[in-house]
Parts: sequence; structure tokens; C-alpha cells
Amino acid sequence: MSESSDQSNQFSFEKEKAIAKSFSTRFQWEMILIGLGQAAIWLSLWPLVLNGFLDLSIGFVIASLCACFAYLPSHEAQHGNYSRGNPKLRWLDGLVGHITLVTLKFPYHILRITHMKHHAYTNDPEKDPDYANAHNTSVFKVIKNTLDGTTVQYDKYLEVFQNDNAFVNSFHKAIPLALFYKAAPLVLVVIFPFETLLLWWLPAKIGTVYTTVFFSYYPHLGTSTGRYQSTRFWSHWMPRFLNHSMQLHFIHHLHPSIGHYDEPKAIEALKPFLVAKKVPGADQIPERITLNPLIKV
Amino acid sequence: MVIEKILNHISNWGKFWFGLIFLGSIFNAALEKFNFFSDTPYIWVLAFGSGALIGLIAKIRGAWL
Repeated sequence: MSESSDQSNQFSFEKEKAIAKSFSTRFQWEMILIGLGQAAIWLSLWPLVLNGFLDLSIGFVIASLCACFAYLPSHEAQHGNYSRGNPKLRWLDGLVGHITLVTLKFPYHILRITHMKHHAYTNDPEKDPDYANAHNTSVFKVIKNTLDGTTVQYDKYLEVFQNDNAFVNSFHKAIPLALFYKAAPLVLVVIFPFETLLLWWLPAKIGTVYTTVFFSYYPHLGTSTGRYQSTRFWSHWMPRFLNHSMQLHFIHHLHPSIGHYDEPKAIEALKPFLVAKKVPGADQIPERITLNPLIKV
Repeated sequence: MVIEKILNHISNWGKFWFGLIFLGSIFNAALEKFNFFSDTPYIWVLAFGSGALIGLIAKIRGAWL
């Protein structure tokens, strides 16, 4: 038997999948706590600020932090990682997915269906809804375009996937909520102008920029198409605990059912497979990921 | 049909309405905070007019920034 055939047997997809599966069974209680917790804290800011118990500037800081924590719990829900295929628990995916996104003012159904397409067509310029963010020329342009809303091209992807009934139906299902998220700040701002600006609109913008930069841009920067080539291992000056460990996002693209907080251990176990399959940056992955901040100055 | 018309209107005129209502309300509240402007009559016209103008420019440009 040749050396390459030995290697392909040693690092077969079946073996990789079996290891990944062993990290895909735990109940993701931390994400549920973060998702529902941040939404509850954000909601409680309104009566606290309006009744003078909390200064608006402090409320703004807390609301912005809540917005930065808002997306990931919904992301786990989008992949069904709370129910894990159990139809009796599917309500939990919907509950956490919807409630946590109130802070960001995004409808869950639209984010879920566009995210599924992002996984299916990562880095495809025509079919990947995140392409405009992931392949921008600089982080400043990503920030500008995200603030501007010009990277949200829902009309384009409705046209691209017009023959995909599940995609179109999910979009239509989300329209009432999308309209509510458009109208609610416009009504609230007339009654509570500064509170609407600093507790909802601006924090939602900050949270969306944070999510786009660390979830869409950095993990896919300079990558191409293909299962093992579309996402990379990266590191920079910021400890990974401040950017939701998005240095490890590549393992999510390979095995989306691995829970977010189980990814470090899964990468440690799968590292030989990742190096053998030439995942971008895999040779830079340290032996120990758990509690490692992965700083690179 | 009605929803489709609303969506079309929002996608065409959303920036203008956002400028008029959202930015206008913020400008109006901010101007009221300044003592210098607090006694000026029709200051709300300036506030909402500025918001509408910014929204209209964004609509024509097709982008806010």
C-alpha cells in the first residue's frame, strides 16, 4: 500500500466525523443562558433608564455589550444545536434564536436561511450571502459598509435562490418581524428619542459591526472555496475571549454541530486531520487550545 | 399585494422616512436641550427638516455613508 493511501486511510472523513461527533452531543446551556440573559438585561435597561435608576450613558455601554453577545446564541439555534435533532426540543431553537436577536433587530428566519446558504456556498461570489463582507478590501470598509447597510443584499439573494422554496418561504415568514423591527424604533424615537438612539439603535449597529468583522470578515479573509479551504485558523493581538473565539470558526464550518464551547477540545483532537487536509493556518494551531488566548502581536 | 407595496415603498423611500422621523426626532430633542434654542419658535421645523434632507440625500446617493 502506498504512503498517500495510508495517509488517506489514517485521516479519512469517517474517522474525522466520528471524532467530531463525540464533541457534538453536549447540551449547550451556556449559549441559552447568554442569549436569553442578554435579552433580559437589555429589556430591563428600558424601565431602569426611563425611571431614572440608571444613567443613560451606562445603559448605552451595557446595551452595546448585550448587542455584541446577541448573535452567537442565535447562530447555535440556526444550526439546531439546542434540539440536536430531537423534534420535541425544536421549540428551544426557535425561542432562543428569536429572543436573542431582539437586541440586534434582525429576524431569525432570514438570518437562519441566509446562514445555511453561507455554509453551502462559502466564498462563492454569486451564492454566498456573506461574500461582500468576507471579501472586502479592509476592515474599515467592512465597518463602513456594515454601518451603511449596503452589505445586506436580501433582494439579490431572493433572486439567486428564487427556485428554492424553503429559502423563499423563510423570507416571507420573516417579513412581519422585519417590518416590526423597521417600525418599532421609528415609533419609540418620537416618544423617547435619546433612549431609542442609545439603548437600541446605536448598540444594534455596534453589535452588527462586531459580529460582521469577527464572524464574517476575519475567519474567511484570503480563503477560497472547498470544504477544507473556505475558512482559516488565524490569530491577532486580541485575546480570543474578546471576539467569541472566532479564530476557531473553521472547525464550525467543518462540523457545525460541535457546540461553541466544545470547539477548543475538538480542535485539539482533530488537529492531525486539519493539518493533513491543509486547512489554511492549521500548521499554526498550538497543541493546547483550551484556555489559550491565541494572541499574536 | 398590500405588503408587497409597503415593502417596495420602504425599499425606495426607507432612507427618507428614517431621516425625517428618526434623525428628525433626535435633532429636535438635542436642540431642545440647548438653552440657546429652547425659546426659538418652530425649531422643530429645522430639526425635522435637517433629518429629512439627510435622508433624501442618502436616498439619492443610495447609501448613508
